[in-house]
Amino acid sequence: MEVDYEAFRREVTEFAQTRCPPEIRAVVATYRKLSRKIWQPWQQILHAHGWGAPSWPKQFGGTGWDPQQRHIFDEVMAENDCPPQYHHGLRHIGPVIIEFGTPEQQARFLPGILSGEDWWCQGYSEPGAGSDLASLRTAARREGDEYIVDGQKTWTSHAHESDWMYTLVRTSKEAKKQQGITMLLIPLNSPGITIRPIRTIDGWHHVNEVFLDNVRVPVANRIGEEGKGWTYGKFLLERERLGGANVAPALKNLERTRELVAQELAGETHRAKRAALELRLLLAEAELRGALALGKEAVAAVMEGRPLGLLPSVLKLSTSVTHQHVAEVAMDAVGERLAPRFRRIDGSGPNAEAPGIEWVQNYMYMRVRTIYGGSSEVQKNVIAKQLFGS
Amino acid sequence: MPFTASPLVGGDAYEMAQRLALEVDAELSALSDAGEQLACLRRHWDAIAGLGWMATMVAEDAGGAGGDLSDVAALACGAGRGGLPLPIATACVVAPALLAAAGARDMLAQVAEGAARICVILPDAAQDPGATRLSFDRTLEGGVVGVETPPDPTHLLLATKAGELLLLSVDSPGITRSLSMRIDGRLAADWHFVGVAVAQEQVLARGIADQADRARDLGALITCVEGVSAMGAIIEQTIAFLSDRVQFNAPLASYQALRHRVAEMYVEYENLRGLVAHALREAAATDALPWRDIALAKLRLGEAGRLVAHETIQMHGGMGLTEGVAAIRLARRVMMAEFEFGDRSFQADRLLAQVA
Repeated sequence: MEVDYEAFRREVTEFAQTRCPPEIRAVVATYRKLSRKIWQPWQQILHAHGWGAPSWPKQFGGTGWDPQQRHIFDEVMAENDCPPQYHHGLRHIGPVIIEFGTPEQQARFLPGILSGEDWWCQGYSEPGAGSDLASLRTAARREGDEYIVDGQKTWTSHAHESDWMYTLVRTSKEAKKQQGITMLLIPLNSPGITIRPIRTIDGWHHVNEVFLDNVRVPVANRIGEEGKGWTYGKFLLERERLGGANVAPALKNLERTRELVAQELAGETHRAKRAALELRLLLAEAELRGALALGKEAVAAVMEGRPLGLLPSVLKLSTSVTHQHVAEVAMDAVGERLAPRFRRIDGSGPNAEAPGIEWVQNYMYMRVRTIYGGSSEVQKNVIAKQLFGS
Repeated sequence: MPFTASPLVGGDAYEMAQRLALEVDAELSALSDAGEQLACLRRHWDAIAGLGWMATMVAEDAGGAGGDLSDVAALACGAGRGGLPLPIATACVVAPALLAAAGARDMLAQVAEGAARICVILPDAAQDPGATRLSFDRTLEGGVVGVETPPDPTHLLLATKAGELLLLSVDSPGITRSLSMRIDGRLAADWHFVGVAVAQEQVLARGIADQADRARDLGALITCVEGVSAMGAIIEQTIAFLSDRVQFNAPLASYQALRHRVAEMYVEYENLRGLVAHALREAAATDALPWRDIALAKLRLGEAGRLVAHETIQMHGGMGLTEGVAAIRLARRVMMAEFEFGDRSFQADRLLAQVA
């Protein structure tokens, strides 16, 4: 059936503008940290409307949208300051369970992801396994119907507010380190789990260390076969390759930073500085417009079943840096008066922090863009390998 | 398989233009005498005129081929890979657009058949510091410098700031010129006007300032197309050089520092390619020229083009400072493109004026 994409865009826009609560949009618009408190009610609203899982097939409660529709949905949400849906359940482990899970696992886990009742986090990185993930050492040994898991995960986003962690563990030592890895679904209230916050430079709490000390996990919580976890983990990352095609949040960010510069540096005194920052924003916009065009090419390629080639890496590399440039401009606009007031020490409560401090936090946070999701250096290795043919 | 760039607009015209550009490049790079170079450029100008390049965008009832922007883009894509040192954007797009705006059918026909070789002076043409500003009030006074020109120009087509369009024979009394070679090997002329009388019939139109802006933006778009093409070829040639060249007992292509620099070139190239492809599509889809897309693309050409040009020079080492390397000649073409049809400051100013 032919989809009327313009009508679809109008429908999604109307939904975004009328159904996303203003207090939730305000959090997105002011760069305050998103948490389960914000995401969960939004997920419930989407789910009630039948839009809980834009990227899932219909038989699992998804919308069955094509890539173009999903792209439009993401774009419209960003344009209207609706939070991007919490991804660990919907975009990461959900599709893995759909593809590789048993019917029992699908029945147990998918509804909770859809409704927002179950909150997931990802147990991949370890102190010794970052970009080189296959070096992970957290070990699981089989004991009857259970695995006993020992080790440590790190950079675990949202572990402190999650119910479950999909986790890569080592079940055997093989010649090739990608082998012998298994994927387990671990309830975070299991005895033996300790979660400690990591203090990040942005002053927000999002990542944690997760210690696993003789944690017992039923074998029924294993995804697929033992030792094949790397395949499932890779499947998950492959599916995310279109993620960078959504440039709308970056453009929104740019627009907002432009307003900030105009307000913060109004008047004759700041004329030269304002002009310099406006020029930097313009250069960033030009790059984002290029990325936007490439994003459209990527969506079109997926729609027509053509390979994406290097597009995802190119998009990731260029938008991550541009995001950072825009955040730097904002920091340069407010830094002199706000960077010194990063943490209040003689006040508390919701209004204790200096208004606008999120610009400083956001600037700090943006440094992660070139590190996570395949660091810039990893992306350049990928691109070079293809360009040089070896 | 190492990287091969795919053209923004491919097809027979693209293939033909590429072949021709590479031939001209090979021929020119063997010549060192300015007179011989000039003669070579003139010969090839006549050849592309004979092939009907300049007729591409001229309407059929004015003796042209009635093609559209993508037909010229195909030529510019092919020409760009060899850095063809002839004024393609001006001859195929800017001059025809101005003449069409003025309804100058006879002149359009002459352009289409290659009988007229027109040097176009746009309102923002460069002037030397302290020089008399170009002014027109019955007579033409002042001067402009570094204006791209076809070999042996026959006419000057001058768009004034006030929106008049003048067509003058280059032999008109009071006009003097001096020729130069630009950094990309194309021809440029300085023009000086002293009491040049302009007759009524030489004023082809008045009040066409907007169309002159439009013609300049069309030129900028075609320049971007050429630039993207040249950058793609530069990246290919840089990869080939790094793969062949052995230093410290290993091909340069094995060093991660260099591989990453090539990846950065590619990202800049791809980003610009996406933007220019988008601008081309928009230009084809709407009657109003997408000037903002074009201005953003031209701005990016300045940034991305320079990065690619500088990096290829760096990675070629000492060879990067010689004219003997094709990639380096292309790099100079990309460097020159920055100054055609509005440089980065120009584009930034107009875009920022809109933001404010």
